[in-house]
Amino acid sequence: METLLQQTINGLSLGSVYALIAVGYSLVYSILLFSNFAHGGFLVIGGYICYFTLKSLGFNIWIAGFASLVGAGFSAVLTERLAYKPIRERTNVTLYLLIASMGMSIVIENIFVIVAGGRFRALPPVIPTHPVHIFGLATTSAFDILSLLAAVFFLGALQLFLIKTKWGLAIRAAAYDLRTAGLMGVNVNLLISIVFFVAGFLAAVGGIFLSVRYTLYPQLGMITIKAFVAAVIGGLGSLPGAVVGSLILGLAEMLTAGFISSQLRDLVVFSLLIITLLVRPQGLFGKNISEKV
Amino acid sequence: MSAAVPILEVQDLHVSYGAIKALRGVSLKVYEGEIVSVIGANGAGKSTMMQAIMAQVPRESGQIYLEGKELASKSYQVVTQGISLTPEGRRVFAPLSVYDNLMMGAFPRKDRHKIEEDLTWVFSLFPRLEERREQYAGTLSGGEQQMLAIARSLMSRPRVLLLDEPSLGLAPIIIKDIFRELKRINSEGVTILLVEQNARQALMLSHRGYVLQTGNLILEGRSEELLANPEVEEAYLGTGKTTGTVKK
Repeated sequence: METLLQQTINGLSLGSVYALIAVGYSLVYSILLFSNFAHGGFLVIGGYICYFTLKSLGFNIWIAGFASLVGAGFSAVLTERLAYKPIRERTNVTLYLLIASMGMSIVIENIFVIVAGGRFRALPPVIPTHPVHIFGLATTSAFDILSLLAAVFFLGALQLFLIKTKWGLAIRAAAYDLRTAGLMGVNVNLLISIVFFVAGFLAAVGGIFLSVRYTLYPQLGMITIKAFVAAVIGGLGSLPGAVVGSLILGLAEMLTAGFISSQLRDLVVFSLLIITLLVRPQGLFGKNISEKV
Repeated sequence: MSAAVPILEVQDLHVSYGAIKALRGVSLKVYEGEIVSVIGANGAGKSTMMQAIMAQVPRESGQIYLEGKELASKSYQVVTQGISLTPEGRRVFAPLSVYDNLMMGAFPRKDRHKIEEDLTWVFSLFPRLEERREQYAGTLSGGEQQMLAIARSLMSRPRVLLLDEPSLGLAPIIIKDIFRELKRINSEGVTILLVEQNARQALMLSHRGYVLQTGNLILEGRSEELLANPEVEEAYLGTGKTTGTVKK
């Protein structure tokens, strides 16, 4: 019972970090209809900005965190402007965007291999990780609770942005029909930049927490594969789907680790993906493919 | 009238899709307060012309002027300059509410209280939209979606409203309703450029008309003249030739 509760909290915590990554990825997908494989790169950029800011400007996580989120946001915008905009202005074939994103993912990873080196780096102990006892029933770490809270905060803020603001409304409209959103007087390029900024920003939140959990290295972005899987299980392009898919994945991983073996975590993750694709290819909250023209 | 500066003028517009020429030198004028229709068969280039005005497809050559001033080259700037398009096939934002769709139409505007006034105005034109204010646009009937699409275009307070096939796929009785409202919208000061396959309905509404055939404007004149023209009658008004034409 104790293990169950403990692993559930850990699972939710891990899932919520996946959710931060999956939501940004899904947001980009909903607007431009391609899988942005460079998304993991945004997370790595965020992680390294946080690391180097902490090292050079002292151990203030607030300054470093802010620099990291904003820096990753702008890097995402820059990636879009450099690699995707020239393509989407010439063609409607999203496959080219997908291929460009794979290229950008390799580029970003190798920039850090060259500049920062390939070794593993531990973030300074800026996020508390001491154990926390929950009503004497279970023990978890302060880090897990903090990452869960941070994820809830940022996802809530995203939801507010999408529901309450004019640009949020425009993003929701563009997710359904980008071209028609352009006819409404929306500057489509600006809208896409905003979406990429938000995606990079949220990925960096995930990046910081993942760097603390697993240490920081240039290939850390590979972990986004889990977030991709989560987004597919939840339904590509659907934000609630991305969150629910991520939580399912986080729970599945941690419960497998707690009750069976942590070696089988990835097996369970990809089994869930395959089952989803067989039973409900559009994902839990996905739109029917035929509906989107 | 001919001495005045047209509110919208298209000069020698060419548009191609790769090797295919869609428009081969189209020139037309629309004067303030008019309803002008462009009729033509499927594939004549009507929608392309509208999209070229909205800067949604690139022009190969040619100029477009709004009140003598060159039109912007980005869609969102064209909307701000005072032109708004109700696209073919309505293209309402299905997962958004009717209200949110209308707010999208008002996207570039900053005058918040005036937006409220215009909301009241479009609801007075199409009272059914007010009843369905909170409903998802995707759940509306075809006719209601067309009303929403028109109302949404009006929310940007356009000087010129472009309408691409507003009768497409609608029952004759609904088409009549919608065309009656278009007349009213026009009488309240909105200049209208309408492209239609439903030639009779369009010409009965408009003051002047053009006939577009495979990328060229081959005829123009007052709508009554075009309605009486035997060539037009033969090619576009015969009941078998056009879809959705109301038989008399």
